[in-house]
Formats: sequence, structure tokens, C-alpha cells
Amino acid sequence: MVWEIGLPLHFAASLPDNPTDAELIKSCRQGNLRAYERLYELHAPRMKSLAFHMLGSHADAEDTVQEAFLKVYRALRGFEGNSSLSTWIYRILINCCHDTMRKRQRLAEKPVEKDLRSDSSLPLKIALERALALLNERQRIVFLMFEVEGLKHSEIAGILEVPEGTSRSWLFEAKRELKRLLMERSV
Amino acid sequence: MKFECGDLERALRTSELMPEAREHLKECPACRREYRLWNEISSAAKELHEEWDSPALWPNIRKQIEAEPKERAPWWQGWKLWAIAAAAIIAAVLIGRPWQWVVKTGTQPSIPTALVSTNQHFLTEEALGEVERNEQAYRQSIEKLSRLAAPKIQNTNSPLTACYREKLLMLDAAISDTRSNLEHNRFNIRLQTDLADLYREKQQTLKELLTGGQKN
Repeated sequence: MVWEIGLPLHFAASLPDNPTDAELIKSCRQGNLRAYERLYELHAPRMKSLAFHMLGSHADAEDTVQEAFLKVYRALRGFEGNSSLSTWIYRILINCCHDTMRKRQRLAEKPVEKDLRSDSSLPLKIALERALALLNERQRIVFLMFEVEGLKHSEIAGILEVPEGTSRSWLFEAKRELKRLLMERSV
Repeated sequence: MKFECGDLERALRTSELMPEAREHLKECPACRREYRLWNEISSAAKELHEEWDSPALWPNIRKQIEAEPKERAPWWQGWKLWAIAAAAIIAAVLIGRPWQWVVKTGTQPSIPTALVSTNQHFLTEEALGEVERNEQAYRQSIEKLSRLAAPKIQNTNSPLTACYREKLLMLDAAISDTRSNLEHNRFNIRLQTDLADLYREKQQTLKELLTGGQKN
């Protein structure tokens, strides 16, 4: 549930060097833009990467991360702290990615071909990227979050709102399927 | 039990391979290949993390955030005006006539005339005790109403409920601010009056929410 409330903004200078979640939330709620910037610095790199792998393009990933941060801003007043701040932010990001994918489907756009980086010359890496695209949605998300972005199962479980065991099980299914696809390719 | 090739998948479910599986891997090249690929998937996955510069991303987000309050916070701005107006009215009442508080009911915070000190801006100890008891009664009433209203607040997405929700959040923020000011100045009549007004407003808002927007 998103509570959309605008907050008065200011550029308060004081923010601890390594603010805790509680300090960040408090500063953001006070409309401290530095606190939002800190949130961005902490989470944006991983959010961009995750969104890129889900959506397949840098431009869409950036748009989606931007949308996610706006939603965080609008909803922060209603954040009750039932999960950690990062878990909550990633949950919003995943929902934004799904919105983008739904929008694409409505507009009958073709899924974007992933723009592979020029240095991705390692065969296994390329094959893995292609195989990932063949996984089902839940397997792909769990694999991306755990293996690529280094999130823990407890965090993934919180983001996807499933038990931790389910997250482990989906990861296993993902790896088993990837192994099968990669072995087929190499046979 | 002898470990077979078909058991490898089950063995991979655990984070560490059992000794029988390790023994089997030493003897079986096919399983060894599968196991190596299993581990390589994890190492190759780390390289998939994608980083690139987005110099315009944060400035764009900040620009949008800065543009938001004007469109999304009319109630807050209204609240500020309301608070200033309320403070002005209270000040006018306090200055304009002698201090008169009438004890009405147990749930209304009240300050008996006799208990106010000769200094008109501060309460006596006894009056403060009574105000705090009444405040406690208000808080209990509000807690009870909040519990009743919680399902409606959480599960309804109508615009009216959203307005109530915003108003309640703002009231909570204002109550919290006033209470923190009062911690340093418990005897201040103006702050106690503001707090009582805020509690009354919150109680009234919760009642309206529960009765579907009907003013009591």
C-alpha cells in the first residue's frame, strides 16, 4: 500500500556519515534531500543492475529506478518499519519493473534485446545471460537477487513476501534449469 | 546406501556436499562435469552485475521530488494555516478574558480555575496532575478508536479514507512535536492547550472515520 503524501523539503546539512536506517528514515521524513541522496547512493547501483536484468535495457532500468525512488519518497511517511528499509525499497523496485513489463505488454512492444556489454566475451557469461532469459519470472528474480546482486535469502524472502525456504527452493530450481540449459548447449 | 548419479541433484540442494557424494564425484566424470558447471554458474553470475554511469539520474529524481510537494501536500499547507489560525484564536481567548476552564467530563482535559497559579502562563503542580490524568484518558480513548479504525485505514483505498489517513498522520506528527516541546516545559498552559486541541481533533477524526465521514 502506498500512501502518497508530499513532504516539505530542505537541504539540511547534518546527516551522520554512516546513518542507520532509522536515522535515514527520520531525516527523509523531515524532507532532508541529503538523506534521499544518501539512500540513492546506497541502493541505486544494485537497483539499476537488477532492473537492467529484468527489463533488458539501461534506459528502461534508469526510468524504473527513478520511478521507484519517487514512490519511496511518496510512501515514506507511511513506512511502518515492518521490514528493513532496503527490503522495502527493493520491493517497490520489483513492483515498478512489473509495471514497466505490463506497460510493454499493453503496448505490444517486443521485449528489449539485452544490450550486452562489449567486454562480455566470456562464453559462459554470455550463455548464462541467454539462459537466464528462458527461466520463469520467479526463478529469474531470485537468481538475480541472490547470485548476481548478492542479497541474502532472508532479504529476498522479505522483498518477495515468501518464506525463506521458498526463496531457497526457487534458487535451486533456477540453478537446476540453468544447468540443464547450459549442458544442452555444450552437448 | 550407495550414491548413484541420480542422487546428485538431491545432494546439490544442501550447501555442502555429503561425503558419499564427494566419493562418487571422484569416480564419475559426468557428475564431476555437472558439479563443476553448478559452481561455475554461481561464479559467472557475479560477473553479470551491471554498473554504468548515470550522471543525470539523481538530478532528475531530485527535480521530480522538488516538484512533488506543491502538487501533493495541500493538506499539509492547509494544516499550517489552520495551526496558525488556531494559535491566534487561543491567544486571543487567553489574553481577552480572565482564565476560565470549566470541568466538563472525565474525558475532556480541563484545568480548574483554582489550580492555576497566579502567573497566568503556568499551571500549578496540582493542575498539571489533573491535566495529565485527562490526557491519559484521551490517549486511552484514542487508542481504542485507533484499534477499531485500523482495518478501515489499512484496507480501504477510497479517496475519503486517504484524506483521513493523511490528516491522522499529520495530527500524529503535530502531537509528537507538541509533546516533545512539553517535555521541557510541562507547566506551559499554551502548549498543554495545543496538545488538548490536537487530541480532541484526533479523537473527532477517528470517530468521523468510523462513522463513515458523519460529523459527530
